[in-house]
Amino acid sequence: MQGPLIDSLVRQGITRRTFLKYCATLASMMALPPTAGRAMAEAMAAAATGGQRPSVIWLPFQECTGCTESITRSHSPTLEGMIFDMVSLDYQETLMAAAGHQAEEALHNAMKANAGKYLLIIDGSVATGQGGAYSCIAGRSNLDLLKEAAPGAAAIIALGSCAAYGGLPNAKPNPTGAVAVTDIIKDKPVVNIPGCPPIPVVITGVLAHFLTFGSLPELDKLGRPKAFYGDTIHDRCYRRPFYDQGKFAKTFDDEGARKGWCLFELGCKGPVTYNACATVKWNDSTSWPVESGHGCLGCSEPHFWDAGGFYKALSMPADPLKMAGVATVAGAAAGVAVSFANRAKKATAKAGHETTTLADLEKE
Amino acid sequence: MGIEQIPVTVVSPDAGLSGNAHPLLREIVEMMGALACAGTPGILDLAALPLTPADKVWLRERLGTGQVQATLDAEGISSVEETACPGVWWVTHRDARERVLSEFIEVTLVPEILKAYPEDVQMGQAYLENVISELS
Repeated sequence: MQGPLIDSLVRQGITRRTFLKYCATLASMMALPPTAGRAMAEAMAAAATGGQRPSVIWLPFQECTGCTESITRSHSPTLEGMIFDMVSLDYQETLMAAAGHQAEEALHNAMKANAGKYLLIIDGSVATGQGGAYSCIAGRSNLDLLKEAAPGAAAIIALGSCAAYGGLPNAKPNPTGAVAVTDIIKDKPVVNIPGCPPIPVVITGVLAHFLTFGSLPELDKLGRPKAFYGDTIHDRCYRRPFYDQGKFAKTFDDEGARKGWCLFELGCKGPVTYNACATVKWNDSTSWPVESGHGCLGCSEPHFWDAGGFYKALSMPADPLKMAGVATVAGAAAGVAVSFANRAKKATAKAGHETTTLADLEKE
Repeated sequence: MGIEQIPVTVVSPDAGLSGNAHPLLREIVEMMGALACAGTPGILDLAALPLTPADKVWLRERLGTGQVQATLDAEGISSVEETACPGVWWVTHRDARERVLSEFIEVTLVPEILKAYPEDVQMGQAYLENVISELS
């Protein structure tokens, strides 16, 4: 195992065995064959350092910086950071020291010097209303910048649900005309890494794959890496056996909630959401929404923001995403029962001239 | 009110045996054949298919405990343990907070991660030469 990168890591006190352990784990997380860990270690060890690193240009559009927060707050800093040491991050507004015309100059120099080879990361949606005037950097619209930067890119990573699907800015009535990167760019390979925000290891995994094999990982029909978005949250949920047994929490403070039963009836979107939260978890693998007692919001799926209520069970009617169609039979039956119960409750409230609460409306 | 006063007790569902561990034994036997005849090593990634904790215990019991147990301190403790079947190793990588990062069954004479790398040996050599020169 030789090369500039591993030499640089050894100087920082990271041993070859530690590096091999990290690569074996990364390959396992990416569902690559177990022998790929060794191949990744060899290829990445030999990666260039200094001026020879592949150029990455990261453009933030209509976004909240949550995606940058997620990535930069990833844990085991020496190793996740290592992936970023392997690339030359030539433009990232939030992280770069340069500002003003110097920053814009760095962007244009990088685009020119690495034409056809750089990796373009976009976070945030693209505002198209009023000619793109709703979101500008250095006096130019995001739409313009994207059209300028995309042709020279080897590949584009649409980071976060906004770049991948339009995200929250796209929520009805979409005042800024927000769209996804793939709505504008049709002639480049685009990897969608959705999530609000996405899991840090997903982006480092995609970068590692690109740097190791010189290609993008296998993608699903929504352009997401299959390794991380291959299973639903529900498939891998540790509360799944309760669903199978028909044990559901009915409110957030009942016996079922205290015993950690399935959150399907409280609106969990786990059965229709493809993401790796259930296995990779969050905050240094401390916990994840369902483990913390709250259902999945479905943040890595298109239009989750307009899906009709986070606390509405999937099998309820009035479902703009047509999510109900994919819920399993058992779940659908359970959901129908909830729906009837809620309707009955509302009817009783109406009959008794009781106040209908917001929660009642939400469940209907 | 402190967090310890909130009466939450999460009951772990007892998933029991899924039946997924059983075919792995056959796969390991095949890998052992390849190692013995052609010297070809093999690896199984235990995260690659759904195994319940009970499945892993079952698998571990069937494979037994062998003569070699090694621990590796690399940003967290990893354990490399030979099973009762020589050449079949159970490798568990943990992070600094002792959570399992990845788990493999390796069928090989010596797992790759235990070997010292020639480049590291050279560094050790330089270090020891330095120690000797300071003695004189």
